[in-house]
Parts: sequence; structure tokens; C-alpha cells
Amino acid sequence: MANKVFSVKEISKSFGSEKNGNYMEVIKNISMDIYEKEFIVILGNSGCGKSTYLKILGGIESATTGSMELNGENIGACIPPEKLKKFGFVFQNNNLLPWRTAEGNLRIMLKIMKLKGEQWEKRIDEMLEIVGLLDYKKVYPHELSGGMKQRVGIARALVHDPDILILDQPLGALDAITRKMLSYELLNIWKKTQKTIVMVTNNVDEAILLANRIFVLSNKPAVITHEIEVDIPVEERNTMIGQNARYNELREQINNIIRATR
Amino acid sequence: MAKNEAITQRKKKEKKDPVNIIAPLVVLAIIYVGLEIGLRVFDVPAYVMPTPTNILIGTIKSFDIILPDLLFTIKIICIGFCIAIPAGIVLAALFSQFDIIVKAMQPVVIWLVITPMITLIPLMTLWLGTDPNLRVIVVIIQATPIICLNTLNGFIHVEQEKLEFAKSIGASKFETFIHITFMNALPQVFTGIKLGCIFSTIGAVSADFVSRGMGLGDRIIKFLKYSNFEQSYGCIVLIALIGISLYTIVSAIEKRIVLWKK
Repeated sequence: MANKVFSVKEISKSFGSEKNGNYMEVIKNISMDIYEKEFIVILGNSGCGKSTYLKILGGIESATTGSMELNGENIGACIPPEKLKKFGFVFQNNNLLPWRTAEGNLRIMLKIMKLKGEQWEKRIDEMLEIVGLLDYKKVYPHELSGGMKQRVGIARALVHDPDILILDQPLGALDAITRKMLSYELLNIWKKTQKTIVMVTNNVDEAILLANRIFVLSNKPAVITHEIEVDIPVEERNTMIGQNARYNELREQINNIIRATR
Repeated sequence: MAKNEAITQRKKKEKKDPVNIIAPLVVLAIIYVGLEIGLRVFDVPAYVMPTPTNILIGTIKSFDIILPDLLFTIKIICIGFCIAIPAGIVLAALFSQFDIIVKAMQPVVIWLVITPMITLIPLMTLWLGTDPNLRVIVVIIQATPIICLNTLNGFIHVEQEKLEFAKSIGASKFETFIHITFMNALPQVFTGIKLGCIFSTIGAVSADFVSRGMGLGDRIIKFLKYSNFEQSYGCIVLIALIGISLYTIVSAIEKRIVLWKK
């Protein structure tokens, strides 16, 4: 078995307080172990709390109870700032800083994380190359298309060489064609960079195409209802995956699960 | 690379496009000729409005009298304006740190913006004495609140997502302010500064009207007393020119800095 990079233990998150009557439990006792170079996809209906869960993994929010373990070290209910370097977060609607060029959006990561030196400068170009936007280095986000912006967003999350890439519905705000294309590209990025990836989506096809393991969440409060191993070899995952028998079998299975989720 | 070139080319075109310069000049010429003809045809008396040519001739003839006042007014406006910009921005930055202060100070700042400073000038002369240089204070009190108000508005309206991005990369409070909040507010800061140009000019001239003795405002009244209407109008045009020049300078700086707005 590969190395366990990150593990989540019984994490719960609630907002409000019972006293004020606005108490709401968003996620409940979620545990998962994430292994090196794994691609994990979390599936769930919209509003089920999957984004909240990712925000905890990305260090944006802290969990109410539970703890996390990074490379075997317990880091508590909230990712401490010095550990944030190990994570790269891709937001749903790119969330690029409009006042910075594509390159500048990558550079701010290095600046804030205090990563200086030639090799990091070079890495900016490398990452833009990986997402195919090296020619658009000096272009401001408003001059880029939606798909290109999201690709810059992915490059930005990779530039500081994190151990774990976290993607919060990265393709959600795109049109159907761009979405399809970018999902294959994501697959290639994963193959090329060999990162551990945790992604949230509400699209079953995307999930099967990309994931090693799929976790299905229930509606609020979110708990893991199913864990599905996707045993399609990486070589068979390409544009022809629609003809794969196992793919269709899994697709049927997951669609049934989701239909039954409430 | 092709796309890059296309973008730079487009930018150059925008800059060099002569229509932007010629069109306003043509309008100016039409106004000039129209006034000249209209005023002569309808035989409008000089105390209502002298012809543009006479204003020009009169002003040039008396320019040696006007010059010291012109320089004085420019000095007052520039010093006041240069103090008001940092003062407004720093105050807004301080206020924006705490929600409660924003709520407490916003009405006060609006109240300061609305109060015409000209009403305070007689009192201020009483407190501060009659030194003409003290008119800088009028300009500062007049321009600071409007700059502060606009800047504050920009500081407190930052997209939650942008702040989450800062959090996900472990930015400190100061870094978040500099890289996210301030940059995000920059367009609004410039709106405030541009309004500040107008308010500074108004402040300086009203101070001249009330305190007398020096300045272009004072010169207008002096010329009027001796029925030198051409020169009075000349001073008014000069005051307008000061305002326009300041505004143009600020706009030019804005265009160089705020590159991300279409």
C-alpha cells in the first residue's frame, strides 16, 4: 500500500448555536484516509456541505470537532498556517486576482509563502506550460476565457509544489464543452504532476473519469454513505472511456446511489 | 505569442487613437466660435458675458497681476490635495479594520462631505488667524472626507472568496490588506481622488472669497469691483484649468496603474 499522506478523523462542522435556534450541522463525522498520488473525488448534491468540507481541508475554515493528520503528524481541527504550503486550492470560479496578470497570480503564491529563488521563478513558467498558457503569461484575467482562467487557477494551486491539490468544483462554472475538455486536461495534469488530488464535483462522468476512489456524501448533515473504488486502469482513461464496460457499470451504480440519496 | 502581440497592439491603438484628443478640441472650438458669434449678434453686454476673444485679450494683458494669485492658488490646492490623499486613505484603512468603527464613522464622514466648508471659513479665520497659507487647512478638510468615503467603500466591499484565497495561502492580516483589500479598492480610491480634485479647487476658491487678500477667488472679486469683466472671467477659466489639469494628471496615473479594468 502506498504512503498515507493525509487523513481526516471524525470531522464535524456546525454553524450557529442551539441557544439561538439557528444551529445547523453541516458535516458529520467524516473520516477518510488519503494515499499518495491518489485522485479522490467527493460526490454530493449541491448544498450538501461538500464545499465546507473542502474549505476545512484547505485551511480556510476550521472543523468544529475532529482532527487531521498530515504525513503522520496530528495537526488538529484546523490546518496551521505553516502547513498551508502543503496544499493547493482551486476555487470554483477561478478566483483569480483581476489586478494581476496570469504570471502575477502565480507569483503572489510564492511571495506570500516566501519561496524565493531562481527555481521558483522557473516553476511559474513550467506550471503555465503544463496548463498550456505560457503564451498568456502577461495577460490579465479579464482578457482570458472562462476555461483559461480556470487553468490559470489550477497552475496557481500547483506553483508552490504542494503535496495535495484540492479542487472545489473546478469545472462547475464552465460550459459543457469546455468542461469536458478541461476534465481530460485535469487527468493529464494529474498524470504529469503525480500529485495527490481531492476534488469535489456533482458530475458522475467526471468523477469516474478522474477518480481512484469516489466518496458519496448524503445531504445535510453530510456523512459518507458510499465509498467506491474505481478500478479502471489509467491507460484506459481517455476520450474513449465511454465505451468501457466497467465505466458504464460504475456509472449506473453511482447514478442509482445518487438517486436514492436524500 | 500571436495573441500577445495582438493585445499589445490593441493597447497601443487605444493610446494613440487621435479621435480621443481631436473630438473634445473640435467641441471646444465650436463652443468658442459659437459664443463669439452669439454674443456679438445678440449684443450681450460685457457684464453678462464678454466674448471669448476679449476674455483672452484681457487676461493676457493683466496676466502679470493675475500670476501671483494664480501661483498662490495652485500652491494651496496642491499642498492641500497632497496631504488630503494620504490622510483620506490612511483614515479609511484605519476605520476599515473594525466593523464597529466603520459603522460609527461612516455617517460622520458623510456629514463632513456634505457640509459646505465655505460656511466654516469665517469661524476658522477666527480660530487660526488670517495667514493666507492656512487656507490649506480648508482644502484638506474639504477633500479628505470624500477621498476617505470612497476608499472606505472599496475597503469594506471585498469579495469573500478573495479573502478565502488569502486565507488558503496563509497570508497575514497585513499581507491580506496590501495584496487583496487595497488592490481591490484601488479603482474606488482613484474615484475618491478624482472627486478630491474637484473638492480641493472648490475649497481653495471659497477660502479666497471669504478670507480675501490673495488667491484667484479674491482676484475675481477685485476685478469685478473695477468692472474688469474680461479679467474676472479669465480668472474663472484659470480656476477651471487648474481643476482640469489635476483631474487629467490623476486620470493618467490611474490608467497606468489600474490596467485590469476594461
